[in-house]
Amino acid sequence: MIYLDNAATTFLDRQVASFICSFYKKDMGNASSQHRLGIQAAVVIEKARQVIAGSIKADPKEIFFFSGGTEANNTVIKGIALARKRQGNHVIVSAIEHPSILEPARWLQRQGFRVSYLPVNPEGFVDPADVKRAMTPRTILVSVMHANNEIGTIEPIRPIGALCRKRGVIFHTDACQSFTKVPLDVECDCLDAVTLNGHKIHGPRGVGALYVRKGLVLDAFMHGGHQENGMRAGTYNTEGIAGFGKAVEIADNRDVARMTKLRDYCIQEIENRIAGVSLNGPRQQRLCNNLNFSFSGAAGKELFLLLNAGNIFVSTASACSSNALQASHVLQALNVNDDRAHGAVRISLSKKNTKEEIDHVVSSLAGFLKKIRRKI
Amino acid sequence: MKKAIEVLDLTGVGCPMNTARILLRLAVMADKACLEVMLDDGEPIANVPVSIEDEGHQILARERKGKQWMLRIQKSH
Repeated sequence: MIYLDNAATTFLDRQVASFICSFYKKDMGNASSQHRLGIQAAVVIEKARQVIAGSIKADPKEIFFFSGGTEANNTVIKGIALARKRQGNHVIVSAIEHPSILEPARWLQRQGFRVSYLPVNPEGFVDPADVKRAMTPRTILVSVMHANNEIGTIEPIRPIGALCRKRGVIFHTDACQSFTKVPLDVECDCLDAVTLNGHKIHGPRGVGALYVRKGLVLDAFMHGGHQENGMRAGTYNTEGIAGFGKAVEIADNRDVARMTKLRDYCIQEIENRIAGVSLNGPRQQRLCNNLNFSFSGAAGKELFLLLNAGNIFVSTASACSSNALQASHVLQALNVNDDRAHGAVRISLSKKNTKEEIDHVVSSLAGFLKKIRRKI
Repeated sequence: MKKAIEVLDLTGVGCPMNTARILLRLAVMADKACLEVMLDDGEPIANVPVSIEDEGHQILARERKGKQWMLRIQKSH
């Protein structure tokens, strides 16, 4: 089996798994309880919060835990817009955001907000000048992802953040794909809110976090208890949070360097050995683990099925919409033709993938494409 | 010369996360070292000292500072 769908989710690191299991084997209290067992659980959570805060140069008071990236993204888009509606009604997002940003933005439109969807260039980059042009005195929030989940484009968040800071507009970035792979510094990048999650970095599924700059007020999305200072009600997922913290703690820059090398090797091998191939997304400023190719004369879905039968697991679009036959909104935003959009295959690496695996995948792809193209 | 005391601002942090953060900080401090903590009025000042003493540490002082409280803790083990 060769797993190359790490942008959808990663396998749990064994070290993280043992760490989580150690808590499942213990008698743990509810981290909101004041007794000793509750406080022990709270210590586990606070340790993870410190590690996560440190990794983006934030204060632990600015980190709030959620059930994942989607919940954090929904909270930040709806919560900031609703809390600031007296100041304005205009929100700006990029056209290639994850659906957990785009759908809340559409929800805001139904509530009477105005939303601008920023275009991207053919490599998927947002132009900060477009952000500036889209801003009005009624703009309250800009959200541009740190790195795209389908084509790996690393967006120029620092100049966009600086622009927002200058205009007094809140700036959010969804860093679910880039977290621990591309450095983030909430101060230097002028970030007011950042979405992070655990399962893209060999941590557990079902846990995410939101960085919220001190003093920034959001309307809560989940109402109930006073967990997370009222930012997110609900019993703490102590074991999940512990695992998330551990995954961040063991994240290693050497893995980023290794994945970058493997990504470039894969691009080189595919382009050298297979004709009629187009790389979607940029060659520079690209996530270390992302590859996205379109193969002329072959539908992505057909390749996906052949690879799947050969125990090679990739994705045709973003995982969340891989069952949909509609071309990905990201590839559509790049203005690629229909054939190219429908022919796209995403290969996303992890620290566990090897050169031998890539060699096998490239040979399999070449073989499958020969068969498919012969049929035409 | 008087030894500088570490300070931890836990205003705005709810219970028992404030206690947890104090315990984490004390865990990396030397035995008998002191930690000054700023806490909110209400539940935090009612709960935290009890929980910290329950863990074997000593409360040396508690002082009201406007709407907040300063707690001086000595690590005891």
